[in-house]
Amino acid sequence: MSPRTRKILEFLLNNLVWLMLVVVLALFSALIPNYFQLGIFANIIEASSVLGVMSIGLAIVIITGHMDLSVESVAALSAMAVSILFCSAGIGLGYKLSPEWLMVPVSLAVACAIGALIGFLNGVLVVKLKMSAFIITLASFIWVRGLVLAVSGGRSAQDLAPAIRWFAVERLFGIPLSAWIAIACFLIFSIMMTKTPFGRHLIMIGGNETAAFRAGIPVKRNLIIAFIMAGAIAGLAGWLLSVRTSGATANLGVGLLFNAFAAVVIGGVSLKGGVGALPGVYAGVLLLSAINTAINLMGLPATYTQVIHGLLVLAAVLLDTFKQRLHQRLA
Amino acid sequence: MSEKLLVLDNIRMSFGAIEALKGISFSIGKGEVVALLGDNGAGKSTLVKIISGGQKATSGRMIFEGQEYQANTPAEAKAAGIETVYQDLSLCTNVDVVGNFFMGREITRKIAGIPFLDERAMEEITGKALANAGTRIPSLRGKVEHLSGGQRQAIELNRFVHWGGKLILLDEPFAALGVEQTRRGLEMIRHVANQGIGVVIITHIMQQAFQVADRIVVIRQGVVAGDVECSKTNADAVIGMITGQTLAGAGAASN
Ligand SMILES: Nc1ncnc2c1ncn2[C@@H]1O[C@H](COP(=O)(O)OP(=O)(O)OP(=O)(O)O)[C@@H](O)[C@H]1O
Ligand SMILES: [Mg+2]
Repeated sequence: MSPRTRKILEFLLNNLVWLMLVVVLALFSALIPNYFQLGIFANIIEASSVLGVMSIGLAIVIITGHMDLSVESVAALSAMAVSILFCSAGIGLGYKLSPEWLMVPVSLAVACAIGALIGFLNGVLVVKLKMSAFIITLASFIWVRGLVLAVSGGRSAQDLAPAIRWFAVERLFGIPLSAWIAIACFLIFSIMMTKTPFGRHLIMIGGNETAAFRAGIPVKRNLIIAFIMAGAIAGLAGWLLSVRTSGATANLGVGLLFNAFAAVVIGGVSLKGGVGALPGVYAGVLLLSAINTAINLMGLPATYTQVIHGLLVLAAVLLDTFKQRLHQRLA
Repeated sequence: MSEKLLVLDNIRMSFGAIEALKGISFSIGKGEVVALLGDNGAGKSTLVKIISGGQKATSGRMIFEGQEYQANTPAEAKAAGIETVYQDLSLCTNVDVVGNFFMGREITRKIAGIPFLDERAMEEITGKALANAGTRIPSLRGKVEHLSGGQRQAIELNRFVHWGGKLILLDEPFAALGVEQTRRGLEMIRHVANQGIGVVIITHIMQQAFQVADRIVVIRQGVVAGDVECSKTNADAVIGMITGQTLAGAGAASN
């Protein structure tokens, strides 16, 4: 194979998700009545904001060669905490701050701090005690969700303070601010991963941890920071979730983990670590969101969504394996 | 004899019941090239890892530049001026050549207090360093996974030449190199030593040891089985020490 064909093939492989997104959107627009409207595209972007933010944290941890299954529960706990503090109905305590806008940074700080704390715990257990990230974060996935149930008593909080709700209502170019937050996160963390030494080091750790350690990179510290980041980002996703739904229920966000997982893998992040970029993950998120919208429009019962998502995860992992094999042959 | 750079004093290393090093003592002078020889499993790589901060010795002392020295991490060893080229390649194959060359010491530019990678500066320096060493690599921006074993080793080797330091540890650095690259590599070692940098090179090729080293230290089953100046010995004698046919300690260097 000539180097040129190899390059083109690799380029296609690495950007497969964008191609898929375009094809899927074109296909749906052609086949499903009412799909092709600007409003629907805005809707796809809007619906993908929570999932998008959550996928960023998950992707970062997977790129460093680890795993964080706790992001969904962490998001739920953060959403519940924000909702209990700033909702006025249900179990909400309805705290008011003056001036009102102060509630925005305070609620954000609460959401991210909860996430960061759980991320820190995950990171320390995985990195210092050398336990499997899969098991540790699976445990967190369970106990954090349990905590959500415990603090809420299974009940819900509604009517989030309007000052915070504002982010889901106010629009810029037809897209709500909450979705812009997701887009901004993708931009910021993409730059972090590709343009700063810290991001470069995370990619190196994912590729060859021993080599990174020998090169003097503080591997353990960086890994713990990656877990803290994933937690804090999941906290932000939870904040967005409560903003979008104007409150929180005990089973808020159930199933998001698998969508995030699918988006990350479809987006070109390899489960073996060291490979992948965040823009691709965003495309993966949009792809899932586009498919969901299509399912809604076609009026399929919601139960099918789960079947389709399951198949998508399967397809994504198959694709990952296939790509790894192809890469090996190309190398 | 030249000024002592690193003194190893009774270094021991156990992996559970296996005693890989049973009290190693020798020293390396400034600007001196020491060839570390020994059969497979003799303990050479283990010793290198102890000096370079990858592993902690079970017991023993090291004196570096006249001061008690112990590296808990490779970062500490690097900070002290000790560079290492490991036996098993230490590159991140998922990153490009430039990224690997500068791994852990990236050149950055601060924008609003945040360090950003200065890719252009790094690419320029990498290109020059590799060109000086006569290593031809198709693309500095290509991932290392597409490179041959020799090209990879050349990157590692040129890394240490570029970064310099006070002591350089080379664990079988030429194993994957071609004839011409090996010749240049040996030249590089002499060049580096002439600048006053101490070099420890591990090799299984006797000819290389005699070509480049001032002194030969032989390790056999975790103990120093010989420590002689190159000019005062020959290949047969050294092979005897390696295999144990010569009595341990025979031909020890005069301190
Ligand atoms: N991490 C470890 N755990 C257990 N045993 C080890 C470990 N590292 C090395 N050993 C053992 O220590 C001994 C010395 O190994 P070392 O790698 O230092 O040998 P070497 O002299 O470098 O050999 P070679 O020429 O094959 O590279 C061997 O018996 C090896 O099995
Ligand atoms: Mg060895």
